[in-house]
Amino acid sequence: MASTIIGAGITIEGEITTDEDVLVQGTVRGKLNAKDGVVVEHGGVVEADVTGGPLTVSGSVTGNISSTDRVDLQPGARVVGNVKATRITIADGAQFKGNVDMDV
Amino acid sequence: MAQTRTATKAHGGGHGMIGASTRVRGRITGDGDLTVDGHVEGDITVRGDLIVGEGASVTSNVDAHSVTVSGTLDGDVTARGAVRIAAGAKVRGTMQGEHVAIEEGAEFAGRLDCEFELPPELMGSTSSRKRS
Repeated sequence: MASTIIGAGITIEGEITTDEDVLVQGTVRGKLNAKDGVVVEHGGVVEADVTGGPLTVSGSVTGNISSTDRVDLQPGARVVGNVKATRITIADGAQFKGNVDMDV
Repeated sequence: MAQTRTATKAHGGGHGMIGASTRVRGRITGDGDLTVDGHVEGDITVRGDLIVGEGASVTSNVDAHSVTVSGTLDGDVTARGAVRIAAGAKVRGTMQGEHVAIEEGAEFAGRLDCEFELPPELMGSTSSRKRS
């Protein structure tokens, strides 16, 4: 269970820094710095640069993503920005525009 | 790792939760309820209820339906419902609400703005005091 939940209908404008899992069902604008997992659910909107551990996107992310682990773009995801991660999956039905940097 | 789960619906919006090791600098707005166990610097406006948990520290002006504080809150509170300052809480600012309760063991510095009718026997003797 995520320890920080940005529920649907909740908007945070600013900077979020956390050591915990983050679940985004609402809107985040600004910056999202996590050390652990980040899940952007369907309907969730992130207009921010995101750093964190494993990152799963089913919603929308506009901004650069940097993960120390894997990034999974699931069907229905919409990502505009550069992705830096050790592993990445882009599922059929995910929209993605940007560069991928896998640190090879 | 974070698992996908659905939020419980309240006040037509989702529930927000700022965990203990989370720090937010900026504005939080929402239709639902919000629970803060971490640190927030910036204004909070929610249509539902705000709970500031034990160990949480909030430096914000707050606008919510009801507000319950068990942690530290620095800022002005405007509530349409009840404001409850629980034992162990440290609150500084102006509290405005339908009901305001300060429990024994809570620290409070500031102003209370609470609308209520004074009993008739107090009306005459306190005419010099300002009623809100």
